[in-house]
Amino acid sequence: MTWSSGLRRVPAGLTMVLITLIALGPIYWVVVSAFKTPQEIIRPTPTLWPQTWTTHNFSRLLETTPYTTYLSNSLLVALGTTVLTVVLAVCAAYGLYRLEVPGSGMIAGLILVAFMIPGTLLIVPLYGILSDIGLINSLAGLILVNVAFTAPFCTWLLRGFIMSVPKEIDEAAAIDGAGPVRTMFQIVLPLMAPGLATAVVYSFVFAWTEYVYATQFILDDRLHTLPIGLSAIVGQYTIDWGLVMAGTVFTILPTLILFIVAGRYFVGGLITGANKT
Amino acid sequence: MRSRAMGFTAIMAASALVLSACGADGDDTDDELVVWHLETPPNRVEALDALAEEYNNGDPEMPVRFEVQEWDEIYSTIAAAASAGDQPDALFVTPDLATYVRQLGLGAPVTDVVEGLEAEHGFIDAAIDPYRDDEEYWAVPLFGMVQVLWYRGDMFDDAGLDTPQTWEDLLEAAETLDTDEHSGIALPAGQNQATDQVLYSFMVTNGAADIYTGDGEIDFDTPETVETYELYDELLQYSPADSGNYSWGEPQAAFNSGSAAINIEKGQYLTPFEEETGLEPDDLGCAPIPTPETGGQPGSVYFSNGAMVLGEDEDRTAATDDFLEWLLDTENYGDLLNAEPGLYLPLTENGAEESDWREHETISTYEECVDVMLEQSETGELFGFVDGQYIDDVGEISGQNFIARAVQEMYVNDMTPADAVAAAQEQMQAAD
Repeated sequence: MTWSSGLRRVPAGLTMVLITLIALGPIYWVVVSAFKTPQEIIRPTPTLWPQTWTTHNFSRLLETTPYTTYLSNSLLVALGTTVLTVVLAVCAAYGLYRLEVPGSGMIAGLILVAFMIPGTLLIVPLYGILSDIGLINSLAGLILVNVAFTAPFCTWLLRGFIMSVPKEIDEAAAIDGAGPVRTMFQIVLPLMAPGLATAVVYSFVFAWTEYVYATQFILDDRLHTLPIGLSAIVGQYTIDWGLVMAGTVFTILPTLILFIVAGRYFVGGLITGANKT
Repeated sequence: MRSRAMGFTAIMAASALVLSACGADGDDTDDELVVWHLETPPNRVEALDALAEEYNNGDPEMPVRFEVQEWDEIYSTIAAAASAGDQPDALFVTPDLATYVRQLGLGAPVTDVVEGLEAEHGFIDAAIDPYRDDEEYWAVPLFGMVQVLWYRGDMFDDAGLDTPQTWEDLLEAAETLDTDEHSGIALPAGQNQATDQVLYSFMVTNGAADIYTGDGEIDFDTPETVETYELYDELLQYSPADSGNYSWGEPQAAFNSGSAAINIEKGQYLTPFEEETGLEPDDLGCAPIPTPETGGQPGSVYFSNGAMVLGEDEDRTAATDDFLEWLLDTENYGDLLNAEPGLYLPLTENGAEESDWREHETISTYEECVDVMLEQSETGELFGFVDGQYIDDVGEISGQNFIARAVQEMYVNDMTPADAVAAAQEQMQAAD
């Protein structure tokens, strides 16, 4: 690398550093504050690094709130949503965009239309439906509602991946005696791994952070998920900043880990899903 | 092929298992009462659950289970539940939420219960008046909340200031204490309920509590209201520069961190004061909301928090009434109030003295301030419910934070107080 080409990279490097600081700044602040004392958190002159490290906020969070219950509920909902979404989306995408079942064009359009309906408009009718089938105030009901939103998007997302696999492969598999199901599982699916990873990350994060339906359809405190639990700490009139910071750290941790593991697939997957024809 | 198919089957089986496991909920409501409350902080949830457990240990006709709901979502949650015929047996409400719930066709009169409790315990007027309409009571009052003036005693002592009693005193104190180290006062100016309530407290002291005419028309744009906005505008000069984003938490953080000397709020200031400031309890000063020099009157915003009975079955309604009466019994009332000590105030005449409420550490430590709040409660007001009024659609006004919106116009857009109030009058009329 010559001196001049190195110089040309300086603006890009500085921009990346700036964007990284802007993106990670709030996360850094939350994490560091979670280890501060209540006095230090609200100090008028903020400290970049805790003067006195304490895990008191975390221990209070675990001792005085049903945080572990919220965590296990969230895990159950997120995993349930993810598994169902991926299974449904793969089957739907394969049927619509690969096998091209009769009416697939119209069905694909309808799926996208369903995705475009604002969620809040559906609160009252969904409440009635879930109540009628006995799934109000149950995590199963919440999973089904989440899947109703994640599956259409993921079906569309997988379209690009399915279409990027040459159809000649299907024909070759058919000549070798493979049926459609075998072709899907053994031939096409392995070639769609980045797409599947993207669908997994998307549906998991959607379910993990979903708030509106969780507040509407889950009535029992024992079934609350993390976003509701975190919001509850910020009560009307009172805010316990230490608990909020500790709760936020624990809440973002699983998604952070997921992104570290599968983040590159996610970004690449979104671009691929949007572009492939 | 076989292994793939088995994998697929395993995934589907796992999904079914997850769903069936998730389906196991606590929805066995036929033989127990379900009461929704909106007190989400963990300490309040725990205290209320403990109360329900104690009640259930007494082998009542029907046991009680609390379910906690989010304040921000309750309007849509209760509407959805009502449309599905799936409402709880009782719901904790404020007066304006109660009007909304009644408009959904929910709510049974609780006049007999309230009158019985009135005879036994005696309610303060501000507690029961907002729930009276059509010659019936529509909620059983449970606890009150009132705003007072909080100030940093250490800063006042250093500056040689006395407790502000009038608007002039307050302005002088805020100006004096507005230094390089701290702001004179921390006032909310965001478009939210916190701003609504603080400004309304000043309106009450200036005789502008009633924002409706006798016919229920909006009467917000009055000289008294404009004067109050002028005061707020002046005070905001001594409030931190980011006051335009303040709600409840930020002024308290500014106060406890020592970056502001004065606040106006409710009793939630007591519990965290020592831990967050590192000061002694004596350093927390409190006083009634300052009043104008001439023509002023004591007063503050006051919230009577009650419970509506929503069940339609006669046995369940009777069982709900029984539980609400049990809560207000002096044997149990202290435990209810101490679910959030200092914020929840007794609203019965014997609730403060005959229950064990005063024995709680926070209440006994800050006894003087608690008494200030109790005294202030007697002059409390809430718009839409002033002097026996009952405005059915007050939620249209309170829910859209028009009072705070006018503060924003003043603070952010440099509108004059008179113009901001006139604009708010128009907005309220359009929404009414």
